[in-house]
Amino acid sequence: MSKLYNIHTIWLAMLLLTLTTYAIGKLGYNGMAIIFLLIISTVIKAIFIIRDFMELRGVSLLWRVIMYGWLLIVCAGITIAYIISL
Amino acid sequence: METTTTTLTEPIIKEPRLLPGDFAIWFFIFSELLVFGIAFLSYAIVRVQNVEMFNQYQLTLNRELGAVNTLLLITASYFVVRAIHAIRLDDVKGCIKWLYAALGCGTGFLLLKSLEYYDKFSDGINLSTNTFYMFYLSLTMFHFLHVILGMIILFAIAIKAQRGGYSAQDHIGIETGASYWHMVDLVWIILFPLVYIIR
Repeated sequence: MSKLYNIHTIWLAMLLLTLTTYAIGKLGYNGMAIIFLLIISTVIKAIFIIRDFMELRGVSLLWRVIMYGWLLIVCAGITIAYIISL
Repeated sequence: METTTTTLTEPIIKEPRLLPGDFAIWFFIFSELLVFGIAFLSYAIVRVQNVEMFNQYQLTLNRELGAVNTLLLITASYFVVRAIHAIRLDDVKGCIKWLYAALGCGTGFLLLKSLEYYDKFSDGINLSTNTFYMFYLSLTMFHFLHVILGMIILFAIAIKAQRGGYSAQDHIGIETGASYWHMVDLVWIILFPLVYIIR
């Protein structure tokens, strides 16, 4: 694993993703591509938290399936609902 | 408990391991995530039937405060991670310092959120104003209460750390509180774009 992937760079990456999300909202962009972009940004941040902040990397597969499964179901459900309403 | 000797610039975990902290907290975390997950999906589904209204009133929310609050919670989580790294190196003072830094960020979140609520309540907005505000207020206030609980837990941990209650060999309590705090952060990570941004 690259030494660039550490807790400090993860924190900075999450700050940048948050500012990007805010900028997209501020500029008023919308549409399917923007929905996907915002959801992907959210999923990346959530994975950072689950994997590296909560330290679930390397724990039993069952716990990871529960956590990532929750994230997948919630984000997929939100994405589908928003695309339907376009 | 095994002492971790990695530095902060090295990969965080190298071996298979048990869930961090007390096992019981994870059932609490999974339960909380289930409740929030259902609430998020309910918001998205109800919005399908009320797209124009949700889009119109979403614009009345203060995105700047929402974004700053997201930065505060992410930073608070980062500080909590630093606190755990510190205690694993038997740096009790460092651990306490990072815990209070996280509490500072949490306090900032509560203040800004209170300011946001004050602004909305001053305009006469409440849970029965419309469906959008019902979701906005109930979702964010439910999360607000979790932030308060998370801060109480972190504060209790910081006090115990000051009394010498934790060491590199025994810090399961800090990991337990940290896991809960990260859950609070994780929920907001989804709540912010869902309620404030995506349209």
